[in-house]
Amino acid sequence: MKRREFLHAAAGAAAVLPVAGLPGLRWRSMAPWILVPMDDAQTDHLKAYGLAYRALERGTRVEWFINYRGGSFLLPAEAATARDAALNGIATEGIDDGRVTRIRGEIQQGNMDAVPLEKAPKVAVYAPPNAAPWDDAVTMALDYAGVKFEKVWDPEAMGGKLPTYDWLHLHHEDFTGQYSKFVLNYAGAPWLSDMIQRNTAVARQLNFPNVPAEKRAVAQRISAFVEQGGFLFAMCTATETLDLALASEGVDIAAAYADGSPMDPDAASRMHWDRALAFQNAQLELSPTTPSYSDIDGHQVNAPDRRQPLGSFTLFGFSAKIDPVATMLVQNHRQVIPDFYGLTTSFTRRTLKPAVTILADEPGAPWAKYIHGEHGQGTWTFFGGHDPEDPQHQIGDAPTDLSLHPHSPGYRLILNNVLFPAAKKKELKT
Amino acid sequence: MNRLARMLGSLLIAVTPPGTAAAQQPATPPGLARGLDLERQGNFAAAAEAYRGVLGARAGDPAALLGLERALVPLNRAGELVPVARAALRAGAPPAVGYGVLVRTWGSAGSADSLRAAVEEWARAAPGDEAPYREWVSSAIGRGDRAGARAAIAVARQRLGRADALAPEAAQTAGGEGSWTVAAAEWLAAIRQMSGFRFAALAMLSPTPERLRPDVLRELERDASGEGRRLAGTLLARWGDPVGGFRLMSASLPGDNLQAVERLNQFIEALQLGAPNTAARQAQGMALEAITARVSGGAAARSRMLAAQAYADAGDRESARRMLDGAVDSRTTGSEASSGTGAAVSVLLSEGKPEAAERRLEGARPSLPADEYASLARRVAWGWARTGQLDRADALLRSDSTVDGLAVTGRIALLRGQIRNAADRLRAAGPYTGSREDAAARASLLALLQRIEADTLPALGRAFLALEQGDSAAATVQFGAVAAGLGAEHGGAELRLWAGRIDLARGRVAEAERWFRAADTEAAPATAPAAELELGRLLISLGRRDEAVATLEHLILTYATSALVPQARRALDEARGAVPRT
Repeated sequence: MKRREFLHAAAGAAAVLPVAGLPGLRWRSMAPWILVPMDDAQTDHLKAYGLAYRALERGTRVEWFINYRGGSFLLPAEAATARDAALNGIATEGIDDGRVTRIRGEIQQGNMDAVPLEKAPKVAVYAPPNAAPWDDAVTMALDYAGVKFEKVWDPEAMGGKLPTYDWLHLHHEDFTGQYSKFVLNYAGAPWLSDMIQRNTAVARQLNFPNVPAEKRAVAQRISAFVEQGGFLFAMCTATETLDLALASEGVDIAAAYADGSPMDPDAASRMHWDRALAFQNAQLELSPTTPSYSDIDGHQVNAPDRRQPLGSFTLFGFSAKIDPVATMLVQNHRQVIPDFYGLTTSFTRRTLKPAVTILADEPGAPWAKYIHGEHGQGTWTFFGGHDPEDPQHQIGDAPTDLSLHPHSPGYRLILNNVLFPAAKKKELKT
Repeated sequence: MNRLARMLGSLLIAVTPPGTAAAQQPATPPGLARGLDLERQGNFAAAAEAYRGVLGARAGDPAALLGLERALVPLNRAGELVPVARAALRAGAPPAVGYGVLVRTWGSAGSADSLRAAVEEWARAAPGDEAPYREWVSSAIGRGDRAGARAAIAVARQRLGRADALAPEAAQTAGGEGSWTVAAAEWLAAIRQMSGFRFAALAMLSPTPERLRPDVLRELERDASGEGRRLAGTLLARWGDPVGGFRLMSASLPGDNLQAVERLNQFIEALQLGAPNTAARQAQGMALEAITARVSGGAAARSRMLAAQAYADAGDRESARRMLDGAVDSRTTGSEASSGTGAAVSVLLSEGKPEAAERRLEGARPSLPADEYASLARRVAWGWARTGQLDRADALLRSDSTVDGLAVTGRIALLRGQIRNAADRLRAAGPYTGSREDAAARASLLALLQRIEADTLPALGRAFLALEQGDSAAATVQFGAVAAGLGAEHGGAELRLWAGRIDLARGRVAEAERWFRAADTEAAPATAPAAELELGRLLISLGRRDEAVATLEHLILTYATSALVPQARRALDEARGAVPRT
């Protein structure tokens, strides 16, 4: 099945699930089903997503019980699944048909739903070849959970490889081509010199006059990937700069050190926001030395005069049966989560397009943390901040070891995004 | 507050000149005393009122102003400080106090313009003083704003006309950003201003990534004053080459003996913070010998003995002997006799001369405290045991009924092959006797002996004796032979695991792997998980990740209730690359 061709739900989730005793179920036990609880009974929430993903890879049908016990999974009790859970220290409960029926009844009556997952999405992470594996929250989450992925960068994006993937994550790239605006403040730092050299070389290789032009072209390829039905997930500065790059066709928004000419002082008024995915009408940061791009980011971590303190954000509760996509994206065992900084930490409400769905925000604050929307046949999800378990992340900090944070609610949000493209879309009731 | 800010805070506290908390403080006025009491009780609101009372009478009282700041900040009412600090300045409060409060208040409020204005005003009131800028930088670092900190440092240097102004802050900012060579240069500038920054420089440059260390050393060695080479030497010692580090630092010791001894002692302290390995003890011996050459009398005797001990521990008998020979004339009585005898006994035992060690010990017995004598006697007894003269060893311990004595006699019984006797004594010695390493080794031995049903196994005693005598290759062969005669579940598997660990410690990885595989049998379910965990870790270290994964998966699935499963899962994550290597 092609990923865009979502099938309408059949008679009910139970009908598409295998039944204990049928061929393929080799694990003989008293319980024909495995429930993977995702509430506080779970011993490793993050690895539990990997369990579901690998089951899908093996061709096993998985059901995601959204809003039931923190977003639990139901799998047939196959030996491979039991083995996987034991190896990874994932809590599971063996349950019989009667219990499954009772759970389905409970789901039917409450704000819950059973979403069949059909196919393990093919995952790509957009990152430069030299990106440290431990400097990107999504890469860390995928590695820890055991979800396979491939790395792509500008040559692959421009070479037309993106449509071969279902799900694309953007490493904290600066799509405005300004090297996160660190050039003046970190001049001489070896990592920055390497970044500049590498990006300049690839821009030249791909026949672009400068890095900002090349990055804009990559951003357009990414936008096309979504438009044609891809699932995009971005964190940190990739969210804001992707849209800035998309909206700045024909407008110079890059500092002189990036493209040889200073930023157009009227750039903000000349932006084509209709081409952006999530944002509109943002004011651009004109100073080349301030590591901030616009007022899209509410926290402005690197602009001392505007920097906002961290609070906590709250996940929205959606109607599982009416809006299963948004519900899947906010599955968690915690509803209030401590905030964390990134070059782009949050998204100012004023700059959000009207069609954007806010998945999480800080109550009372003028910004959202976690947003979602559609573009063409695909969807995008933006999550502000750099590392949910390293709220003050700084360059050179030690890598986060997720085995110390197996219950991280922030990382769960990332992994919700990995699994949701596997869902079989149900016909909306509204 | 981020780590850098915390480090900066601790550093600034550490370098506050001594004497600022004046020795001859006047009696605390009643209002202040009440405020302090209320602060201690956590009643900040009442404390704030008490301090306001003092300030009402003496608006410029610095202690009351600082007390008010301490009380209002936790109440989230720092904004009230601004008019009070202004009034205090008008009433003659020291600028460092009044403006300091203002800068911190504006900083915590995120009011950059007001903060900068306060700094400028302070700088005009105290021209040439770094303090206003330092407070500014601290405020920026506290917000995690390294770029802002750098900008503040640049302004300070330009205004003060000194390229090395705020060098410690610049060093920490550069280090935090990964610009380690810049940090090294800044630290040197800081040390030139105040020697007390040596410790901070050492601590902050130590985490330099391995690939950048040569650059940092080169930067330090460029310094003509010698300070850079000394710092480079100490860093090199921390980074795993203590002997090379000593040579580097000792080549640039100051000519003045007192200063040279101070630097040598600092080097020794730095070594003691690192891993206690042979190279570190050798370097320590060299530094102590260098101290011996620069001091006289009792101090020389002490450092000579300590140098002998360090050399002996490092296995450098020639140097140890040289130190002891020189000690004949300077040896005195009391504590020096004790350390001298201890060092001499260590050297003689390390040379395999228990008889000479015993003679030395008995000769010094009249001047030794009883517990010191008993401790050394146990060491000499063990020295006899290691030569195979077990009767001589027992004779020395006949009157020793302490738990330490039981620990040694238990091990001697094991060398005799008296399994039950050894197990009883080791168990009676308890889990806390001796060093932590001794206790762990004893527990490990007990775990082995408890599985063996036989009361005596002389061949096993001979295997342990071979091990004690340093012939680990023969020992592992003998362990294997004994294991062959025992059922896997009755100590055979455990002995093979033991042999594998010995081979692994000696770097014989192929043999270790063979032993671990031999110990991994379902017939010994108590031993097999440990063998598989050892094997899994060994395979990871050899880069054979697929095999490691298979081994660790087998452990987890087959011995699901083993206490080693969490460690196995962690190793499995490492083997799969799912978590950073630790």
